[in-house]
Amino acid sequence: MRNDSERQDLRRSLKDAASRGDAIEAVKRGRELLGAFSKPSDVMFCASSFAGIVDAIADQLRAKRLKTYVVRSVTVEPILPYLATEAVLANYVLDLQVGGYGSYVDELLNPQSELANFKPDAVLILLDLEEIAGRLPDLCADGIGVAVEEEIEECLARMAQLLRSFRSGSSARLFFQGLVVPDRTSLGDVGDANLRHSLTNAIQQLNQRLAALCGTISDCVFFDVDRLAARYGRANWRDERMFLASRLPVSADSFRTYSRGLIRSFSTLFRAPRKVLCTDLDNTLWGGVLGEDGPDGIATGGAFPGNCYLDYQKYLKQLSSRGILLAIASKNNEADAREAFRVRSADLALSLDNFVAIKISWKEKSDSIRELAEELSLGLDSFVFVDDNPVECEAIRQQLPDVAVVMAPIHEPWKLVETLSEQPFFDAAVVTDDDLNRLSEYKAQAQRAELASSVGNRDEFLASLEIVCTFQSALQAPLSRAVQLLAKTNQFNLTTRRHSATEVEAFASTAGGQAVVVRVRDRFGDAGVVGLALVRNQGGSCYIDSLLLSCRVIGRGIETALLAYIGEHAVRTGAKLLVGEFIATKKNTPCADFYPDHGFTKRVPLGEEGQPGSVFYELDLTTSVPASPKWITLEGNESNDLSTSAVLSS
Amino acid sequence: MISQQVPSSLRDILADILEISPEEVTPDLSTGTVDSWDSFRHLQVILAVEGEYGVQFDPQQIPELTSVSLLQLELEKKGAAL
Repeated sequence: MRNDSERQDLRRSLKDAASRGDAIEAVKRGRELLGAFSKPSDVMFCASSFAGIVDAIADQLRAKRLKTYVVRSVTVEPILPYLATEAVLANYVLDLQVGGYGSYVDELLNPQSELANFKPDAVLILLDLEEIAGRLPDLCADGIGVAVEEEIEECLARMAQLLRSFRSGSSARLFFQGLVVPDRTSLGDVGDANLRHSLTNAIQQLNQRLAALCGTISDCVFFDVDRLAARYGRANWRDERMFLASRLPVSADSFRTYSRGLIRSFSTLFRAPRKVLCTDLDNTLWGGVLGEDGPDGIATGGAFPGNCYLDYQKYLKQLSSRGILLAIASKNNEADAREAFRVRSADLALSLDNFVAIKISWKEKSDSIRELAEELSLGLDSFVFVDDNPVECEAIRQQLPDVAVVMAPIHEPWKLVETLSEQPFFDAAVVTDDDLNRLSEYKAQAQRAELASSVGNRDEFLASLEIVCTFQSALQAPLSRAVQLLAKTNQFNLTTRRHSATEVEAFASTAGGQAVVVRVRDRFGDAGVVGLALVRNQGGSCYIDSLLLSCRVIGRGIETALLAYIGEHAVRTGAKLLVGEFIATKKNTPCADFYPDHGFTKRVPLGEEGQPGSVFYELDLTTSVPASPKWITLEGNESNDLSTSAVLSS
Repeated sequence: MISQQVPSSLRDILADILEISPEEVTPDLSTGTVDSWDSFRHLQVILAVEGEYGVQFDPQQIPELTSVSLLQLELEKKGAAL
């Protein structure tokens, strides 16, 4: 623990930074202060300092600003400064509004409620056992509980109605907090564990069912607060005194843990997980230094300390199973490292085949990671770098600030997994089929690159790929993939609008509107759903609100096929003009000339169309219609079959 | 007797939570003299003071601890190291 004069220094520099509007410095100092000291007054100090510079935080740190409404049945006010502070540390600015204690039903159901009028980006639903399933404690008292199952069904139906009704009128992201399993019950520990309908079992069952319910509602995440309570100790999670006196659901000692856990789960509603974990070898993937200890001397395998590294390898392999790409960045002789993987294969949970790319050389690691990003067509902000060497870690932090750096605990290798899992980088509430296929897809990419170098001209190469594009409604495809693409695609994304599932549905269900996705496969594999377009017709013009393509399939004419598909649809629905919109971001230069390249001409925006930064292009459909490249085979329904009504009736 | 000066640790907590300068934290400061000391802030003050000094107040007493001097007196009674 650092001493009080350091604390005062940190507070002073935070205050100075805030008063001159330097948000980057202020947040950095706040992070340091709260990392070293955890007094409630320090959190309050950070909260009020940050509150004074929210605009600067949003501008300078590009923090996402979210109007957030709290639906609650408990006292949350003393927790809000903690929540706001943890949000800033996770790069969000929450503009918070809190509902009344007893009004959650009205807020969620009534289209004229305070909640509805607030027009939130996000809604936190924080209800207590009493509101969600107040009868359960009594019904579970004998552990036999004839009526328990019925009660659970009834609670679920009620919650489903609240959430669905709210969803039908708002596209705000929903965050639903589960229940904490009560720690002290009249059946006692043994009764609670052994009797099927004990309160503990009932609440656990209810939590699982509520999580499943949230999974059926678009843009809705279930927050398992019980998991947090269990991790940090249920006995101290709630202060009964303050709960009974003031309905405070969490003890003051747990405010920070609670807020941090809440924000971490909340983040998955607004931020896509990172895609690549790039690991060092020596003293990270295995113990010891290969160059000195030799392949037989490095620590890995069933015995301590090798099993610490084995556990880390297994954890990586699990990440890989859900689509996180693994890569190696190591300073070693490549031949030696390959030999180690061969000689020690029985003691390693990973083989070289599990890695999408391997960078073993004496080059600087920042160069290796840059190369990797290039080869995989991924932004540096998709990378997480794990290394035991503080100098390497610092070099990456300085040279590639977008890369997340995790320092491996060299003296405590048993903490490797803990260190990694404490970071939110790979958190995701949804895993799609496309995630699961990602490794083979990127490997196919490498094979394509090989073919490209052996075939002379581009058209021949593209023809030899035997590309097939299949167009589908975004509602069929599954919808979660469409939303994932909207959330994650940066480079080939013409407007970078992060629409929610509900908004995608709205495009599909309005007359003349369309939400179309494209699946791509070729002779090397199936890339899955990689592109999306959202369009709507208005006054004889067809407006392309969003058009995007996963970066790994750019440059094969698929974007042109997608545009041709939209164009055809526009003509069929009677549009005379096809209107494209481009909004420049730091990342989307690869598609800046997309519309001019396809024969569109720039136009002066009409009235108040678009948003600041929008550039509009138009194509006269009466004289030309975009054509799909001849090397692409097209599949899929006629575009007019893709409206919701057709989907529903089929 | 109440000492005329507010101990610096207590003064700083109150200043942080009520968002006022430490100089404004006098023994007479109370829920009636500063706007920011509303009922939710009061709960925050109580929780922060409890955390800082490792004490717990009886909930029935909490609504009565409405000034700096009353808080300080109660803390002294509980033997807190101010």
